[in-house]
Amino acid sequence: MDKPDPTHHTKNREKKESLSREERQKQLEFQHEAVVHLNTLYNYALHLTMNPSDAEDLVQETYLKAYRFFNSFERGTNCKAWLFKILKNNYINRFRKNSKEPGKVDYDLIKDFYHSIKDTRTDTSETDTDYFHSLLHEEVYQALHSLPEEFREVIQLCDIEGFTYEEIANMVESPIGTVRSRLYRGRKLLREQLEGYAKKYGFNTDNI
Amino acid sequence: MNCKKAGVFISASVDGELSLIEEQEFLLHLSECKECSLEFEEAKRTKMIIREKIIKFKAPQALISSIMQLTSFSTKEHEDTLLYE
Ligand SMILES: [Zn+2]
Repeated sequence: MDKPDPTHHTKNREKKESLSREERQKQLEFQHEAVVHLNTLYNYALHLTMNPSDAEDLVQETYLKAYRFFNSFERGTNCKAWLFKILKNNYINRFRKNSKEPGKVDYDLIKDFYHSIKDTRTDTSETDTDYFHSLLHEEVYQALHSLPEEFREVIQLCDIEGFTYEEIANMVESPIGTVRSRLYRGRKLLREQLEGYAKKYGFNTDNI
Repeated sequence: MNCKKAGVFISASVDGELSLIEEQEFLLHLSECKECSLEFEEAKRTKMIIREKIIKFKAPQALISSIMQLTSFSTKEHEDTLLYE
């Protein structure tokens, strides 16, 4: 407990307390709104860079920037979308515009990870059209990564991260109609890939 | 609506991103077209498969700690500045 301060200190003390209280509040709010998305942001960064150390740097940078500009975050809007957009811009600035060489694309690392999962093809006593359930994690991952980036990106943002078309349009800086058609075309390509795997394992996909 | 237009609608409908009018138009086509109905079921399944099979990587502990420090550091720095002014 504080002892009562001499009067001549009171002014300074009040100033200090009010300033740090404001900062502390910003911090708390930042943790509630922004830091809770850390895992999902890292996951996205990893898919973008395919390199764990680049992904860490990118997330670090994103949070630094987000904290600095947290006042400009429009309260009540989707903070996750806001963070993703900052991350994407950082990614472009770092690895595309400034011609900084990205770390070696560690495709094998992630592929190996997928490979290491004890994945079992489920027995299909069901109908042939249920072949999708027998796909392996690794196969779906490879199919997704075989897509051109503009398609993969929207599928990832929509299906994995659960953003709305409006949010995605904002993130990829394209009209909603473009997002819609990219998703349609991307999924079509993805399905072809997945059906390829299914055929390889002898599932009948003719009637799909 | 023809099947070609329905294709784009299938994808958007799976995401619940059709307007009310579009949705009605689309459902009308589904009721008349068996192929698109099957296609619609497959599209829903594909989305589910992606959600199920793509693994979400978790942030390493070191990164979590450094992000947590990032926010508390600013306050400390702030306090220090104030203490030594
Ligand atoms: Zn049709």
